[in-house]
Amino acid sequence: MKKCQYADKIDDYLLNKLGPDAKEQFEEHYFNCPSCFREMEERDALISTIKSRGAWIFKEEAASRKTDWVPSWKRALSSFTPRQWATVGVAAAALLLVVFGILPQFRHTSPRFVLSENEIVRGESLTLMSPIIDVKSVPTFFEWKSLGQDVEYRISLYNEGLLWSAVTRDNRIAIPEETRQRMLPGQRFAWQVRAFSPSGALIAVSSKVQFQIEPAQ
Amino acid sequence: MTFFAYNPGSPPFGGDFSPNSTLVKELGARYNGQVEHRAPEIDLNEVVARYRPVVSFKVKKSLGAQTPDWEDVVNEVITQVIEKVKKGEFRGDSSIGTFIYTITSRRIIDHIRQKTKVLRSVPEPSPLPDPCDDAESRERSRILAEAIQRLKPKFKEVLNLYYYQELTRDEVAERLGISPRRVSERINYAQRLLRKMIKT
Repeated sequence: MKKCQYADKIDDYLLNKLGPDAKEQFEEHYFNCPSCFREMEERDALISTIKSRGAWIFKEEAASRKTDWVPSWKRALSSFTPRQWATVGVAAAALLLVVFGILPQFRHTSPRFVLSENEIVRGESLTLMSPIIDVKSVPTFFEWKSLGQDVEYRISLYNEGLLWSAVTRDNRIAIPEETRQRMLPGQRFAWQVRAFSPSGALIAVSSKVQFQIEPAQ
Repeated sequence: MTFFAYNPGSPPFGGDFSPNSTLVKELGARYNGQVEHRAPEIDLNEVVARYRPVVSFKVKKSLGAQTPDWEDVVNEVITQVIEKVKKGEFRGDSSIGTFIYTITSRRIIDHIRQKTKVLRSVPEPSPLPDPCDDAESRERSRILAEAIQRLKPKFKEVLNLYYYQELTRDEVAERLGISPRRVSERINYAQRLLRKMIKT
């Protein structure tokens, strides 16, 4: 059943807590609202009895008030209605679902620490020495500055794609004859060296140097 | 039982509003004062039965239940209501409740004015009687008090603080560590329990 909007004013009226206008408005209302009047009569009987016999009714409360102590957590718990508890439960369940069910799906992937072939690690620099400019004839070797002992170098020679690749611990390497035969005058080439530590970690990558074998006259 | 003519007051929606319609002619005549405003149909017995407790409540609240002649004031109000309705002074402009409320308020003010004049010329009356003077109301009050005592402490506590000590709802809430809404809920629940306890 829908509650009358004036029903909340009953206590204030009976306890003389309404202002003159509100009081008059409420009085006119209960002359027209049997439901509010019945409720008010009942509430008035309750208040009158409490006022006239309160000392007797509440004598035990007055005696035990000093000894009663309610822990603050218990007070906090009692301030929730069952419906509020249900709401809290549903909210907590929804939160857990979001934290453990949905968020992990949107979690960013871990950063990738393994470099691809074309990525360069900041660190030692690897300087290529020869050939670094256009040459008149097919070169017989590639040479670069050494980064020390126990360093493994991987050299790559590119034409349109990878033409040749080799591994060495020296700071120079001879170009195999069969590769040299594929290096024709007038073509452009690029070469690059990557240096690896004994454990196999990439420690330096040279820049990719281009050169051309001058066409035969 | 007395009945008076009933006038619907306002035209129904969707009626014939053409200039020659009966409705429009009647409204025009009423506007020009050619037709008298007729009083609504009132069952006075029903009105008296329904409003005597309401008038009594208002009079007792305004004058105090200790005032010995509050019942006389109530009777005067009821008499005035009957007379005014019979004379056709209630024309249905407001509800019958509002009409009776207005008469009651005016009569209470008149009564207070008269008493003030009398008190200026006569000595103070003897001490006022006990509010629970009559045996029946005293017995009802005793039963209710015992029922309150049997309530659970959490309900008694809220009744004690709110009605007996007259703390505000917020103050009670703070004292008990609960929300103000919960205070209202406990009071309403306590009242429902008391109603049940008294009936059984």
